[in-house]
Amino acid sequence: MKRFLILSLALLTIMWVAGCGKKKQPVVETPPPVEQPKQPEPTKPEPTPEPEVKKVTESDFRIVYFDFDKYNLVDSAKRALDYNAQILKDNPSLMIRIEGHCDERGTIEYNLSLGEKRAASAKKYLADLGIDPGRLQTISYGKERPAVAGSNEAAWAKNRRDEFKIISQ
Amino acid sequence: MSIRTSVQLIFILGLINFLSFGQTVRDVRGRLGEKSTFEPTKISVEEVRYVGINYITSNDSIIMNNCAEILRNDLDFSPFFEVVFLDSFFMRHMELQEMTLLGWSWMGSAYVVKLDAEFPHNNIRLRYYLYATDSQREIRKERFESDKNDYRALVHEMANDIYKALTGDEGVYRTKIGYVKQVGKVKEIFMADFDGYNERQLTNNGSINLSPAFSPDGEFIYFTSYMDDNPKMYMLTVKTNAVNLVSSYPGINAAPAISPDGKYIACVLADEGNSEIYLMDRKGKIVKRLTYSWAIESSPTWSPDGKEIAFTSDRTGSPQIYLMDAEGLNVRRLTYEGKYNDSPCWSPRGDRIVYVMRDRVFKICSIDITGKDYRILADLGDNENPRFSPDGNHIIFSSDRLGPREIFTMDVFGHNQKRITFKGGCSNPAWSPMRR
Repeated sequence: MKRFLILSLALLTIMWVAGCGKKKQPVVETPPPVEQPKQPEPTKPEPTPEPEVKKVTESDFRIVYFDFDKYNLVDSAKRALDYNAQILKDNPSLMIRIEGHCDERGTIEYNLSLGEKRAASAKKYLADLGIDPGRLQTISYGKERPAVAGSNEAAWAKNRRDEFKIISQ
Repeated sequence: MSIRTSVQLIFILGLINFLSFGQTVRDVRGRLGEKSTFEPTKISVEEVRYVGINYITSNDSIIMNNCAEILRNDLDFSPFFEVVFLDSFFMRHMELQEMTLLGWSWMGSAYVVKLDAEFPHNNIRLRYYLYATDSQREIRKERFESDKNDYRALVHEMANDIYKALTGDEGVYRTKIGYVKQVGKVKEIFMADFDGYNERQLTNNGSINLSPAFSPDGEFIYFTSYMDDNPKMYMLTVKTNAVNLVSSYPGINAAPAISPDGKYIACVLADEGNSEIYLMDRKGKIVKRLTYSWAIESSPTWSPDGKEIAFTSDRTGSPQIYLMDAEGLNVRRLTYEGKYNDSPCWSPRGDRIVYVMRDRVFKICSIDITGKDYRILADLGDNENPRFSPDGNHIIFSSDRLGPREIFTMDVFGHNQKRITFKGGCSNPAWSPMRR
């Protein structure tokens, strides 16, 4: 008899607890879960492909600097080219245009030839490192497109350069 | 015999000639190039007198003032002439009401130009009377007429006539100049009168356009342009502004120079970085490669007889001027003075080459083609790109001496250095040939 009472009491309490739970649930749950979780669901698949294709941008390449009226590669220039060569090796489909530039001193025609030489020295160095020369185009802008305005050694030093531009990925 | 005495002798001979036969005198011209102590002949230009029937308008009056001013500038531009200006102190001192030929001769003028004008319909009719002050006689008179708006060209025409009467030579007054001008971020090719007026934009492709070079007939301008990405060579027809592609070899297609006979283009082509001088025909087909070296070769310029070419090369480690014959043989170095010499231009007289020397600043220098008699002509600021006028008496160049880069002219002695552009960003001038 005692057992029956205890069981029935236990059942009653369970039913009461369960009944209480059933009554509270519909009031709280219904409004939020319907609208909120559906919005983040479509946005989640978008960010995932970004890290998959790692795009190389032109600012990833280092600029190669030269001495006045020179087109030979100094040590710092070679280090910059070694770095750029690694990018080219990591991205075998990358096609690049090397732009040779000069500072404002000297005549337009001479600087056109000098810029051509500078672009060619970088190309040759990269080819020697094993980069397919077919992936490397060259162009000379002479002194027509300075990176920095100004007529002082600091500006000139920044303008005597090879820049790397991406033609296709 | 000094130049001065020889000039005086020629003057006297000319005068005798004139007095005895009444012909035009050709006494002013001396030989330029040997000495820079040449004494210019003094000449004065009186104000324009109005001889029309109707009342003169204020606009016409301004035009008349301008005409006298342009003529003075034109004559003063020549190294052979010095324009004498009227000095009011002199007028008061001599108690003169009006300047007479005698008065002008006291002022030192050997010649006086008197002008009159009238304005029939919308035209200007301008007459000049050229007097020699010593004989007090009229040497020559001529009448010019054109649309009123074209009075600048009319006065240049007149200046040319006076110059020709006195020197026997064609003046540069009807020539044009081409140059490169920065427009925003791009560089376009422009053209103007020899004195910088009447500017006109020739190219409008929104890219970088460089190195304009006139064909010997003056009808075409060859230039390098980035309009199609790579620096290719193009030809512009001056009358129509039409642009045609000439050459698009890999690398640069640069520094065109048309041979005096008009058949060939000497230019710089560079594939795989090695710039060399080539001869192309006028359609861009390679006729011959002229230089063979791993160094930079640049800036070819023709001798006036078309038999030789001067150019820049850094084959010794720094740029220097070299000469070779037009087949590319017989290469010899011209400049030894200075470590950096570039941008040669061969004088139309054939005897000298002007170029740029770097020595702290970029100076304009000239040297005899035998490599002797090197002279500095301009050393204020950084100067670039000297080019001869077609008569060989003047040099046009660009300079940043006043801040922004502008076009300047000077005579072959380096005197009378004068700015002719005023908006900045002007470079790379070229002088047209004489107009036919």
